[in-house]
Amino acid sequence: MMRIHRRGRKSLAAVTVLAAAIALAGCGSGGGSGKDDKSVTIWSSVDPPVQAGLSKVLTDKAKAEGITIKWQKVENINQLIMQKIQANDTPDIAFIPQPGVVGDIVKRGKAFPLDGVVDKAALETSMVPGTLEAGTVNNKLYGLLVSMNVKSLVLYPKKPWAKAGYTAPDSIDALNTLTDKIKADGNTPWCMGIESDTATGWPATDWFEDLVMRYGGPDGYRDWVSHKVKFDSDVVREAAAEFEKLMFTEGNVLGGRKAIASTNFGTAGNPMFDAKPGCWMYKQGSFITGFFPKQIVADLDANVGLFGFPPAQAGGENPVLGGGDLATMLDDSASTKKVMTMLAEADIGNDAAATSSFISPHKDFDATKYPNDLTRQVAKVAYDSTEFLFDGSDQMPGEVGAGTFWKDITAWISGQEDLDTALKNIDDSWPAS
Amino acid sequence: VWDAQSRIPGDLVPGVLVPTARRPGKEGVTDMKLLSALLTVVAGIGAALLLYWLLNKLAELMPSKWEERIKPFFYILPAYLAIALYLIYPALQTIVASFQDATSDTFIGLENYTNLLSNHGFQQTLFNTLLWILIVPAATVVLGLGVAVLSDRLKSGGEKLTKTIIFMPMAISAVGAATVWRFVYAAQPEGQPQIGILNAVVTKLGGSPVAWLQQSDFHLNSIMLMIVLLWAQVGFAMVLLSAAIKGVPADTLEAARIDGAAERQIFFQVVVPQIKGTIITVFITVTIAVMKIFDIVYVMTNGNFNTNVLGNEFYNQLNTNFNNGAAAAIVVMLMIAVLPVMVYQVRHFKDEEAAA
Repeated sequence: MMRIHRRGRKSLAAVTVLAAAIALAGCGSGGGSGKDDKSVTIWSSVDPPVQAGLSKVLTDKAKAEGITIKWQKVENINQLIMQKIQANDTPDIAFIPQPGVVGDIVKRGKAFPLDGVVDKAALETSMVPGTLEAGTVNNKLYGLLVSMNVKSLVLYPKKPWAKAGYTAPDSIDALNTLTDKIKADGNTPWCMGIESDTATGWPATDWFEDLVMRYGGPDGYRDWVSHKVKFDSDVVREAAAEFEKLMFTEGNVLGGRKAIASTNFGTAGNPMFDAKPGCWMYKQGSFITGFFPKQIVADLDANVGLFGFPPAQAGGENPVLGGGDLATMLDDSASTKKVMTMLAEADIGNDAAATSSFISPHKDFDATKYPNDLTRQVAKVAYDSTEFLFDGSDQMPGEVGAGTFWKDITAWISGQEDLDTALKNIDDSWPAS
Repeated sequence: VWDAQSRIPGDLVPGVLVPTARRPGKEGVTDMKLLSALLTVVAGIGAALLLYWLLNKLAELMPSKWEERIKPFFYILPAYLAIALYLIYPALQTIVASFQDATSDTFIGLENYTNLLSNHGFQQTLFNTLLWILIVPAATVVLGLGVAVLSDRLKSGGEKLTKTIIFMPMAISAVGAATVWRFVYAAQPEGQPQIGILNAVVTKLGGSPVAWLQQSDFHLNSIMLMIVLLWAQVGFAMVLLSAAIKGVPADTLEAARIDGAAERQIFFQVVVPQIKGTIITVFITVTIAVMKIFDIVYVMTNGNFNTNVLGNEFYNQLNTNFNNGAAAAIVVMLMIAVLPVMVYQVRHFKDEEAAA
């Protein structure tokens, strides 16, 4: 039998009041825009300087039309947007870094097609080949690439490089020869690091993607990305063999094979700028310059050189790997559509280009806006490519592209798994539907 | 993609499948949202007060004999409803979801369970979790007890200092502790300056840097992760056990000494039996925490190099794979595993209360 003293009853009541209050407070309402209120909300996870530059130009353009832009920086939009769709609390436009997520949004019926909103025919000629395909789902354009980064790049320390007389290779064979030559000179050819907190492994997937698109061609690459071609296949094994040759061979990588999974991708390239370079080449995306030491960043053109990752055969097909942010429309009001057309204009990047790592996906973008020659070189690698191919792991289902592809390749590199097991695990993790 | 480093969730409760949309995110909260949140809180408290006032009035309408009888139930009712709504309902929903596909649309029977249990990676995850359960609670109790006993013998200043230092990591969140220890274990390529203290020592002594978190032989890396939890939790065990030891009546110790018992005998045959209740409480509390362990593994390795545990696998199934079914199945397995421990704990508490 329960007996409650007077004081006990009071405090019990207080506790239950509080519990009920918390319970009720949990039922706060989520916002959502249905009607056209001449204000457009944008969410993105792009780097703050890129966002600031894009936002400035867009706000000016929109003001002329009487539209207010509310641009919010959010963390990890890929996850957030799916959660917010479930909660029915979405922005008007979301910048999605992964084509696969654009596909997921379309699957849930929340995205509106851009055909008829933007001038697709004009964009087809002005944009880098392949960029529109990246945002296309079921033959309709849903994601418009606004900013991009280029990943098929090899960076090197410019001054020592020139002194040693090395030259950019024009084929993968020439890259192997160059690697051997640097080693023969008593140096360590490659910097390599794939550690990236909870996302460890992604830099290795970039290597695989670059090699697969070169050995298999863009179509072979797309078949691999959509799992028509398995990981346990000749083309992936050819890529793995080349990766193994460059990265696992004794003396090829600073710190050796065992250091790859424990070295952070952001700092892996820094030994290039030691008085005597600790390593001589670092394959990484265009954003990596932001991670370099301060005194290097202060004068990139004097310190850093780069070449595009070479094609399989000299003069042959030369696709380029990259990523970027796909503007996706989650609202179909007139204001939102108007803002989408503004985002499709090349000059939207005029401000961002000067002050950030922004690369415009428009070939007719005014290259003088880029802050230095290095960035112009990065843009040139993309504009000269035969096809821009979106990061493959980003397009694979999350289980693979942000799961086993990272984890099992990491396990292979660090020696927990052999290649056969790793490839099989990745294939097995591919979801059935 | 390079910016895909995941947001670290503030609170993960593997006990129930938390509706992800309700989880507070870091996304910018505008003034409007803040205002609306404040208003909901005020309205919520107001409504709750009103509810209780009404229930109270209702009870007062009854004959006074009935009023006293029914009031406690009226007061407890909303709390029961809240538990039903926020604990029992999600738990049931999770069980249902564990028999459904990734998007919780169609029933697929036991497929989530069979897929998981037949997967070699998941078997390793289970084994690693088991290792945590076997090692960490026992080690916490032993270390906590050791510190409590030894510091008990110091002068009071020394005791305070020792206890404060050992207790301090308790003030750090698991995520913070994991971040700190990532630096302890950090490895740079040979020839580069070592920022991790372990490798700084190793290289100073002339060795090559070791990538500690990749040393999966004999699960060394898992054990290195466990050390982080021990570091963070021994203080908790120490405080409870120290209080219990101080509560052991001095006359029992004196009686033992007069009877000629050695210190070791006194400890194991006089002290330990009298603080058994506290030892069990500490052991069970740590066991339950370890079964749900997530943050340390997520931050330090995200399960790479064969260090995965159930809590981390659950998080990745839900937030990387968007697989509600598999995530729910993991939670259900965890619930089933935790249940007997909980039942034992509740019984143990009841026995303690009855004995007291």
